Amino acid sequence: MRKAWIAVLIAALVGAGASSSSSARAQDMDFSLDETEGGATTEEGTTDTATTEESGSGDVIGDLATSGGDTTATTSTRDEPVQREEAREEIYAVQQVYALRINRVEITPSVSFSLNDPFVSHTGVGLGLNYWWTNVLALGLNFIWYEGLESESDLGFQVRRGTRLSVPISQYQFGAHLNFTYVPIYGKFSMFNEFIFQYDAYIVGGVGLMRTRPVPVIDPEIRSFNFDIRIAFNLGIGLRVFVTRWLAIYAELRNYMYLEQLENLNVSLGNQRLDTATWTQSSLAFTNNVTAHLGLTIFLPADFEYHLPR
Amino acid sequence: MRKMNIWAALIAVAMTALAASTVQAQEVQITGPLAGAPAVRHMRLYRVNRFNVMPSIGYTLQDEFARSLFVGLEANYHFLDWLGVGIWGGYNVAQIDTDLTTQIAGNAQITDRNRLSVPSAGNFSRQIGRIQWGLSAHLIFVPLRGKLSLFQSVFVDTDLYVIAGVAMFGLDERASTVTDGMRSGACDLAEPNGSPSPGCLATQTARAGRITPSPMLGVGLSVYANSWFGVAFEWRAFPFSWNPGGTDESGSARGPFPDGQVDGADSRTTFNHMFNLGFIFNLPPDQALTE
Repeated sequence: MRKAWIAVLIAALVGAGASSSSSARAQDMDFSLDETEGGATTEEGTTDTATTEESGSGDVIGDLATSGGDTTATTSTRDEPVQREEAREEIYAVQQVYALRINRVEITPSVSFSLNDPFVSHTGVGLGLNYWWTNVLALGLNFIWYEGLESESDLGFQVRRGTRLSVPISQYQFGAHLNFTYVPIYGKFSMFNEFIFQYDAYIVGGVGLMRTRPVPVIDPEIRSFNFDIRIAFNLGIGLRVFVTRWLAIYAELRNYMYLEQLENLNVSLGNQRLDTATWTQSSLAFTNNVTAHLGLTIFLPADFEYHLPR
Repeated sequence: MRKMNIWAALIAVAMTALAASTVQAQEVQITGPLAGAPAVRHMRLYRVNRFNVMPSIGYTLQDEFARSLFVGLEANYHFLDWLGVGIWGGYNVAQIDTDLTTQIAGNAQITDRNRLSVPSAGNFSRQIGRIQWGLSAHLIFVPLRGKLSLFQSVFVDTDLYVIAGVAMFGLDERASTVTDGMRSGACDLAEPNGSPSPGCLATQTARAGRITPSPMLGVGLSVYANSWFGVAFEWRAFPFSWNPGGTDESGSARGPFPDGQVDGADSRTTFNHMFNLGFIFNLPPDQALTE
């Protein structure tokens, strides 16, 4: 696939160079649709590298392109290992976006950790699904499973033991959220001036639900709670680093905000102690569950077509 | 179990990334005008052979009893564009109690069992440990240099760096009841009216300072406005052992918890970390370019 693209682009350059030897100069560029479309499909995608030698015009970009035409002479003088695949790199005034997102589906498996709850670590495993209808906007779903992965820290126990105070805590079962994603920032990193990584930063937000329940710490001998649904809003930021055009690593910081039902701090006396209506607080508590996600992004289809020339 | 899950996920991410990049590097042989060329030409070198001075404001995260607002100053010198050395110093200018501390101060229940841990609920905020200052010497490793586009209209140079080194922190904690004339035994019995004895209350507010060593790890993102000024967003972690609540947490050979003393045995290691916002001033103001 990559070879085919390179062949098309070389042919396009040759065609453009033959018609106008000064076409590489920025001030002479014509960005009309006729020229760009014609250039992209010239010579039916044939790969005639010999013709690139005719494009020397004295300008820097043209000369660079010409000197690269005689690849056999260059490679034969080098003492190099056997090469398995060859890729001809050309220089373009504006490079294409490394990985197009438009009309692709993104699958995002991840692990998540809560950051702002010192009493319970809400660890989860998640799976997200996004559809990108433009290169910067996506609509998606994400699902996080918590039950069995959470753990209570020593702090809650120590506070209970040292101060005779119990802090009401919650347990999560799962969360499911509808999200919009917007990519306002993108860029690239060079590692030791040798490797280049593309990345983008995004904002994500939406609405969903969380299934939670209070953990009985005030009167655990009597009280027990079932999971219940809470409406949750979420807002976050993330960073995605592309490893290939279909695979990326991402890290995300997201705040899941919802109204939590907490255990009642007061214990009723007598038969009222058994009344489930007295087990929970009368008012709901606004809760911020700040979560870090770390995971992979897999874009499908893995391959894609550029619809505009370079 | 939770740690195993986390490590398994991290290893899977790392192996996938490594495998994908390795395959590309082995099989593609670049020819043409870019053969042998560096990944970036005329790259601006913000760090090599330059000092940078960075005043900063930092805020500790996930504290149990008290947060710290650090005003800091960092000085670094880079002998390579990707490697440098530096020192950082910060002073805690605002000690902010968490909601947990406020709740304990208002609601803690004092019994015979915890009278030494919390002699008086109202004075609880005066017994908790606080970070006073910090100093670190560190290496700076800059593996990633790049640029970013904001709304396709603003383009800035960036780099991602990792710091690793050693640090010292000045701590202010509840004084040991074993030394300094403090008598933990004063808390054994309540006064006739049920309140703690003056001797017990004195142990709660007595303070002792000490310096503790710590490893220092961090990661940061620099965003450069021009050749001599930029902004850094930085996260630092510095785990060390202390007694943040000032409570009696340990047992002893004499019996189970509590051991009836507030001392070094009550310390535990906490994962302390902070977010720093820094303002970078590079000296000399002019930077070099690659070929």
